[in-house]
Amino acid sequence: MAKRRKRRGVPLFDGLDSGADTVISRPEREPTVELTDAAESRYLNYALSVITSRALPDVRDGLKPVQRRILFTMWEQRITADAKPRKSAKVVGDVMGGYHPHGDTALYDTLVRMAQPFALRYPLIDGHGNFGSLDGDSAAAMRYTECRLAPPSAELLGEINQDTVHFRPNYDGTKVEPVVLPARLPNLLINGATGIAVGMATNIPPHHVGEVCTALLKLLDNPELSSERLCRYIKGPEFPTGGQVLNTPDELKQLYKTGSGSIRLRATWKSGPTTRGSKTIHVTSVPYMVNKAQLVERIAEVILARKLPPLVDVRDESTDEVRIALELKRDADERLVMAYLFRHTPLQTNFAVNLTCLVPTAVPEVGRPERLDLHQLLSYFLGFRLEVVTRRLEHELAALRRRIHILEGFETVFDALDEVLRIVRKSDGKADAAAKIMKRFALDAEQTDAILELKVYRLARLEILVIRQELSDKRKRTRQIGGLLKNEAKRWALVRDEIREINKTYGQAKTDPRRTLIESAEEEVEYRADDFIVAEDNIVLVTADGWVKRQKEVRDVSTTRLREGDTLLTALAGSTRATVVFFSNSGVAYTARIADVPATTGHGEPIQRLFKLKDGERIVAALSLDPRVAPNIAAKRAGATPPVHAVAVSSDGYSLRFSLEPFVEPSTRSGRRFARPTSGARVVGVARTTGAEVIIAATAQARAMLCAASDINFLSGPGKGVILIKLPRGADRVLGFIASTGDRDLLTVETNRGASQTVSTAKYSVTGRGGKGRELLQRGQFIRVIRPAVTVPTLVD
Amino acid sequence: MAKTYTAQDITVLEGLEPVRRRPGMYIGGVGPPGLHHLVWEILDNAVDEAMNGHASTIGVTLHADGASVTITDDGRGIPVDTHKKSRRSALEVIFTTLHAGGKFGHRTYRTAGGLHGVGASVVNALSKELVATSKRDGARWEQRFKQGKPVSKLRRVGGARGTGTTVFFRPDATIFPKTTFDADLIAERLNVASYLHKGVKVVLEDQTASQTRVFQHDEGLTDYLRQILADRSARPVHEAPFSVSRNHETTSSRLDLVLQWTESTDEHLRSYVNGIPTGSGGTHENGLRAGIGKAIRNFIDTHSLTPKGVTLTTDDIREGVTGILSVFIPEPQFQGQTKDRLNNPELASVVDGVVRPALEHWLNHNISVAEAIVARIILAARARAASRAAQQAVSRKSATSNRLNLPGKLSDCTAPGAAGSELFIVEGDSAGGSAKQGRDRVHQAILPLRGKVLNVENAPFAKVLENKELSDLVTALGCGLGKNFELTRLRYDRVIILADADADGNHIATLLLTFLYRYLPKLITNGKIYLAQPPLYRIDAGKQTFWALDDSQRDATLAEIKQGNGRVKTEVTRFKGLGEMMPKILWETTLNPRTRRLLRVGIADQIRTDRVIADLMGRDASARFRFIMDRAEDAEALDV
Repeated sequence: MAKRRKRRGVPLFDGLDSGADTVISRPEREPTVELTDAAESRYLNYALSVITSRALPDVRDGLKPVQRRILFTMWEQRITADAKPRKSAKVVGDVMGGYHPHGDTALYDTLVRMAQPFALRYPLIDGHGNFGSLDGDSAAAMRYTECRLAPPSAELLGEINQDTVHFRPNYDGTKVEPVVLPARLPNLLINGATGIAVGMATNIPPHHVGEVCTALLKLLDNPELSSERLCRYIKGPEFPTGGQVLNTPDELKQLYKTGSGSIRLRATWKSGPTTRGSKTIHVTSVPYMVNKAQLVERIAEVILARKLPPLVDVRDESTDEVRIALELKRDADERLVMAYLFRHTPLQTNFAVNLTCLVPTAVPEVGRPERLDLHQLLSYFLGFRLEVVTRRLEHELAALRRRIHILEGFETVFDALDEVLRIVRKSDGKADAAAKIMKRFALDAEQTDAILELKVYRLARLEILVIRQELSDKRKRTRQIGGLLKNEAKRWALVRDEIREINKTYGQAKTDPRRTLIESAEEEVEYRADDFIVAEDNIVLVTADGWVKRQKEVRDVSTTRLREGDTLLTALAGSTRATVVFFSNSGVAYTARIADVPATTGHGEPIQRLFKLKDGERIVAALSLDPRVAPNIAAKRAGATPPVHAVAVSSDGYSLRFSLEPFVEPSTRSGRRFARPTSGARVVGVARTTGAEVIIAATAQARAMLCAASDINFLSGPGKGVILIKLPRGADRVLGFIASTGDRDLLTVETNRGASQTVSTAKYSVTGRGGKGRELLQRGQFIRVIRPAVTVPTLVD
Repeated sequence: MAKTYTAQDITVLEGLEPVRRRPGMYIGGVGPPGLHHLVWEILDNAVDEAMNGHASTIGVTLHADGASVTITDDGRGIPVDTHKKSRRSALEVIFTTLHAGGKFGHRTYRTAGGLHGVGASVVNALSKELVATSKRDGARWEQRFKQGKPVSKLRRVGGARGTGTTVFFRPDATIFPKTTFDADLIAERLNVASYLHKGVKVVLEDQTASQTRVFQHDEGLTDYLRQILADRSARPVHEAPFSVSRNHETTSSRLDLVLQWTESTDEHLRSYVNGIPTGSGGTHENGLRAGIGKAIRNFIDTHSLTPKGVTLTTDDIREGVTGILSVFIPEPQFQGQTKDRLNNPELASVVDGVVRPALEHWLNHNISVAEAIVARIILAARARAASRAAQQAVSRKSATSNRLNLPGKLSDCTAPGAAGSELFIVEGDSAGGSAKQGRDRVHQAILPLRGKVLNVENAPFAKVLENKELSDLVTALGCGLGKNFELTRLRYDRVIILADADADGNHIATLLLTFLYRYLPKLITNGKIYLAQPPLYRIDAGKQTFWALDDSQRDATLAEIKQGNGRVKTEVTRFKGLGEMMPKILWETTLNPRTRRLLRVGIADQIRTDRVIADLMGRDASARFRFIMDRAEDAEALDV
């Protein structure tokens, strides 16, 4: 600061001197402002500004300020529907300079949108040149394109010069602009609007003008008509791009009653030509605001990802009308294919309706944001029409009165024309003549002025008849208007006539029929995910470390790629539509569709990628549930043991049999429980059984148990099971087991001396379960059970 | 100088003579490290016996004089039978011949630390006296040496139970300037050895301090890791460390590894080859690093855990890793006899090949641990990104080289210090141009921002850091961000937000205030942040020009003019953007410290501020809606 003070003497600024003729207001400097206050006031300012004069349309003319300014400027410059189109850049420049001091791109984008027949149901601007397309192409630069107002704009602006609406000064006070346009068209409803303000937003779908006019007329007859009743006349949204609305009439009623809701909109389609090998679907419309090129891309992605095998190809054959050709296999179900596409591509979208707009307040320049229902929207429009009509009539009346006043002056002097001429000839100029005439004929300045400006030819004799005729016409009209202004009912009748007129011009179903179908009745085609899985037989390979993969063909399991130190646990066969179930050592079974197992000739993926295994949880067994591999897993009758089921053994010597049926359908990532081993114990294996096998289990302390599988209880739900082999607590554990089908189906174990030993029904006799088991080694232990070599399973139909 | 240079001048040093002539070649020097190297050599021989499963106890005695050591093991004992080739006893050959030993063939020892075969003989050569005792076959054999030369024959000195080797030696003071051993150093080395060789009992008898210490660890490296973590007071990210022990058959090597991710920010790896610390790392550590990196990356890829916005480097992955790697290999190649950098090229792929699948398997089977580790790694990556952003902040603007780091858009001021200098954050390039031309270039810097800045209230930190406009601002401020914030490094005395006086200008000001409040709150609490007050209206009255900040001031000014001189025609214009002003006017109204109006931003109520910012800028649109509805009346003149 010291440094700063020292510098005070010299001018701080050496570039420009601080102009001598400038007086600067100097309040005290640098007061502290609370952050919250600074932020709140600024934010409020911004928010209200965006809400009231940027993002939301006015309920009366359905326009946002920027749109209104464009239309008004074009009208002002007479670039009307019958005029020669003007360069867009010129229009943009004029709007920007005259009323809208913001960026030119935003302005041009607004202009372009108002000209796009696929964005607005009734375009307000007639664009010449490239104004963009449904494929998301942008319009040509504004220096290329030309534009003029489209006919409907005339209905918005036609009465603007009749003092029908309030005007306010523009940003620099050099011009005035209308606060709202005297719209005869219910533009808000017919063209819709979307906008994101602060803390609120709006999304109003377009509607058919004929339907809206009908509703307006009905409401005029009975102002009490509810939104629900009005829905009889307004069937629903009418999008310029057509499509089909799926909502039920009740849903739509609810939506128009609350002013918010969601419209389900989907593309329309029909069957196309069929050839020998294929058939075609033609998509004839796309949902509103959906970019067609991107849609086609998304459909192509579905095809490339082989998610929808019956769909072979997609081509965009659109010209000025939309046609996306979908080529299907000949035997494909069209409705199923479309059901998939509706669900997984933007061929079906949601349109979130939010009928928020600005409604007029006591201050004409300020609107208040409000979410309205259909009744309110229409009522506001009708009220506005009455106001416009009234003001228009008042304006006309005032003009008539002025004319009558002057005509009366003419009438007065016409009998004494010669005297008037004399006075004028004697007078010293216009002012003197006027004064004398005023005095002589008791006229006011306005009338005198008009007389003095008369053209000489009007002194002809017949001219007085013309004047008298006009005077009587004007008086008649004055009386008429006076009557209208006194009688509101008559004005309402005028409003009605004008709406009828509009309906006749724009709303005829014959010339401009509805484009969007409102049909909810069509029953939905349900499809299941596996309808689209290519059915083929695969081999699923599971390793001891829990890596899984599937391959079409495995010739030799010993050549499959394994990670270092890993070994193959099992190989399972099954259709891609069937499932495999993985059993973990903590008693949880995880079922996956074979199609969801990664198909690769590489290492595959860890099981943890597919399922959420706990820490330390490992896969100890896996079974294919393809009906060809695992037939008869369903119980013949409730409560019975199914012919084919599974047996599990835990490390603490417990065992159970359980049904595979609950594990057929794919599980969640958390799996389903099949056993509840006691704490500390682990499931050592799961095997398929019919109950006829012999269970051969071996323990670390070199004991073995051989018992009939049917001895082990069949549990209806997950449990810890029954004792298979009684083990000294904590001192021994089961290493593994097999369900042996005969004397040659043996269990091999490795001893701690490195030797291997086999256990089979040929060597040892089968006992009942629950004993301590047979001691197989005098001294020494078993290290592990040696898994038999994995063989490639085959599928037999 | 000799007149002739012939074959006679070529000297061939015989026996152990070269060791005494050039001790540095064998033990790295004659300083304390060299001296202790003698102990390590004999110790390694004992450890080798233990490592190959022949010995279970190693004893080290530091004698009372502090300058002599006895090392014993209960291994097989040095062979005493006659070596056929040299017709001397094997013991004598080992102690008197360079490159003699049992570790060249792989038959008796699979892996060993003393591998150059020079250990025993070198120690002998450099010792004033050495006594080697071997217990074998029920007898005790002994031979004495002096400076490497036998002073007695190998003789049987009595019967003995068991087997083992004992070596007593006293380093030669004529070679070593200092011959006193450091007991702590030896204890540390023995401690490590006992960790690496799970279960081996190592006894140190320190007669200088008359105490005996026993080192024995049944859990080996895991115990060691626990010890290191405790010493470094590093909090582990997960409970159980990852450990792997693997015998690699093809290269007949063994690998032991324990790893644990911790919250500390550095990587701490200790590696040993055949029990010898390799402080400078080497191929085995390289393999370990590669293995960890690949395993973690594989895991992140297969589980689609890749974070958005940051890229993971290998440094991120290994940040906080504490680990011990011990490998035993048949033929280690060290760089020099000091053996602290392994040079076996094949070992990198061996270690990598073991660590990668094992670590990946462990991660896959301990998902919750793995997720904690991955979260920690992503945190490291984000922190790195953050600190890089902060580092870009330049400390001072004096040196020209530093200027290069400043954002190109910044028009800095020329004053050398922060004192008295001001940074104007200006909305848009068009206004920036005016401000640049109109400023006082000595004290005022201009940073134009383009369009609306990011709303940081809803953006993740990473996205904030990536935002060009905000990172430019942080760089220009120079004071860093978050935990790297340092007020003293702020490059300006005042930071002034200069936004248009229209709706969007208001929005930008709130966005900037939100950013400053959330990320640089100290700037606000220290009163560094200001809001500039550009005028809303310009009033031309005759030849005079007035500026009005708001409607009330405009009206007051107009009234004043009327009072003073009623005839004057006045014209009021409203400013749209700062870019509309002539630079001179901008200077007069907004920049000139003598005439301008500034608002200093302060925070009185932290809780309220927090709530207001969250309401205005947060995700919850309904809070914003309520605020607007409640306060709509209070709004100042709206801009249309």
